Amino acid sequence: MTATDPTPAARSDDEVFVEGADWETIVDAVVDDTLTVNMGPQHPSTHGVLRLILELDGETVLGLKPVVGYLHTGIEKNAEYRTWVQGTTFFTRMDYLSPLFNELAYCLGVERLLDIEVPERAQAVRVILTEFNRIASHLVWLATAGMELGTTTVMTAGFREREHVLDLFESQSGLRMNHAYIRPGGLAQDVTDDFVARCDALLELLPARIADYEDLLLENPIWRDRLEGVGIIDAEACYRYGITGPLLRAAGVPWDLRKAQPYSGIDAYDFEVATDDACDSYGRFLVRLEEMRQSMRIIRQALDSLPGGPVMVPDRRIAWPSQQSLGADGIGNDPEYIRHIMGESMESLINHFKLVTQGFTVPAGQVYSAVESPRGELGYAITSTGTNKPYRVHVRDPSFVNLQGADEMTRGLMISDVVAVVSSIDPVMGGVDR
Amino acid sequence: MTGTTRYDAEVPTATRGLARDALSLEDIERRVQDRFPTVATEIAHGELTFHAAPDVLVDLLSFCRDDEELSCELLADLAGVHWPAGEHVIERQPSTTGWPEYRVARDRGVIEVLYLLRSVTRNHAFRVAVGTDDTAPCLPSVTGVYPTADFHEREVYDFFGVEFEGHPDLTRILMPDDWVGHPHRKDYPLGGVDIPYEHDRFIPPPDERDLREVIE
Repeated sequence: MTATDPTPAARSDDEVFVEGADWETIVDAVVDDTLTVNMGPQHPSTHGVLRLILELDGETVLGLKPVVGYLHTGIEKNAEYRTWVQGTTFFTRMDYLSPLFNELAYCLGVERLLDIEVPERAQAVRVILTEFNRIASHLVWLATAGMELGTTTVMTAGFREREHVLDLFESQSGLRMNHAYIRPGGLAQDVTDDFVARCDALLELLPARIADYEDLLLENPIWRDRLEGVGIIDAEACYRYGITGPLLRAAGVPWDLRKAQPYSGIDAYDFEVATDDACDSYGRFLVRLEEMRQSMRIIRQALDSLPGGPVMVPDRRIAWPSQQSLGADGIGNDPEYIRHIMGESMESLINHFKLVTQGFTVPAGQVYSAVESPRGELGYAITSTGTNKPYRVHVRDPSFVNLQGADEMTRGLMISDVVAVVSSIDPVMGGVDR
Repeated sequence: MTGTTRYDAEVPTATRGLARDALSLEDIERRVQDRFPTVATEIAHGELTFHAAPDVLVDLLSFCRDDEELSCELLADLAGVHWPAGEHVIERQPSTTGWPEYRVARDRGVIEVLYLLRSVTRNHAFRVAVGTDDTAPCLPSVTGVYPTADFHEREVYDFFGVEFEGHPDLTRILMPDDWVGHPHRKDYPLGGVDIPYEHDRFIPPPDERDLREVIE
């Protein structure tokens, strides 16, 4: 750190510091034409607050250094002082474009520590909702990438379809984002009666809309010029930088945790892993398009075989005590349950009180649970010491890791290509900075 | 960015990879222990952990990456956990559950760093855990083996203060550059810092605040 500090004593003669009204001196003094430019953190193309330090020769990028941390909110630290169930409401806010994946990966880890099996219905609903979440996330990627590359039509279209998916989430969890709907042991509540009909309607709508995007973009010369051969990273480099997700699959490696380490019974459904050999931004576009189709395939099968039954483990030490449903007055209520704890069973009342205020305890141990989020491997390294709070939760966010490849992917390109490359990585700063 | 360290391990591709038989946890355990007899192993919750000493860390990770059987192409995760010295009885209510009480005493504080290695071709994953004293935490950097460790090690340095020897640019990554202390350590004071206010004034943190003064 100290070795590179430009302290006055260390300044050499050919270093130039711009102080204003000295353009002539600068032009005379510049020996090589490299220029260090700061891009972001407040830049419309940097997906939030990502700062890039570009080393430029003219318009050619010689090096790129991502600077992150502007959105750090200390969620991991906060979770150490909250109960296990409260953890879901924190982690869902990390990667805000794929909140359900955050909840799922965290809950899978907690469930592995608890050594409990989630009911089949809850597993199927988890798969359906996370795959819809993947579609929504890829739609936002398409929309923002379109906006950054200048096709605002795609932007409005992408956000339009995503809104339908968010409507579905809202109808089930009450919230468009940050749902805290997947809980350790199952789901917060059962899906509504019109859940299948709502999903059907979406599955009816989306394929035609995705075909529209293809009509709009696949043969679009501007879109292809901006993406083809831009941001090349091969499989070997992906491994070096730990890059997973659509970037690795666009480098020809069919690596998908849904196939490799199936979770939530996703191996029961028939689907294919989308890959491409181009290793470039256009390949990632094709991979994401195909992934949306495959997600719909999974959802279709899961809906057709949606089992009945409970959505929470029967263990009364873990399950949230009441399954409230929304009454006509707009207030969640469970009159039968209230009669039980208030009129019949003192022990149930005590159990309710203790579960709500203290939560449940989780056996000591360390687990790493990972799911295939829209951006790659999303992992939760959870350490428990047997108490009602996590001792430490570390989140391996795919955006955080994938950003490290940006340097190699942009070297030798133009500044305008940096925008295309960064958007093809699809980093979500909420996840990067946590 | 670093990324200059290249290695010549064969690259698994669609045609070459993913079809090979997965190793069982016991096979991995045997394979590593044949080569590194000092490494202790632990299997819990269906996951395999190697407890290694800092001096074998780089060799162990290089072996796991280059070995034909293990072929761990990815360093999937790198995380720190702080276990401070002293006796700790974690408060909880044992009456509602049947789980044992957690009680532990340590004569020295340890920062444990967990390396999660993953093989794409063999489809297995396991963990390497390395401990370092929390008074002067120091570990060798593995950026030479896995360049992806760059950001991860900066994060562990930022949050736990672990000095990774040989890291090309060990600076804070998520906290502000001028931050004092390493907030994920268990001995990091909660209750915070002075809050900047207008005209270069500061308001003391909530737990030190004299309410009458603030109201005036």
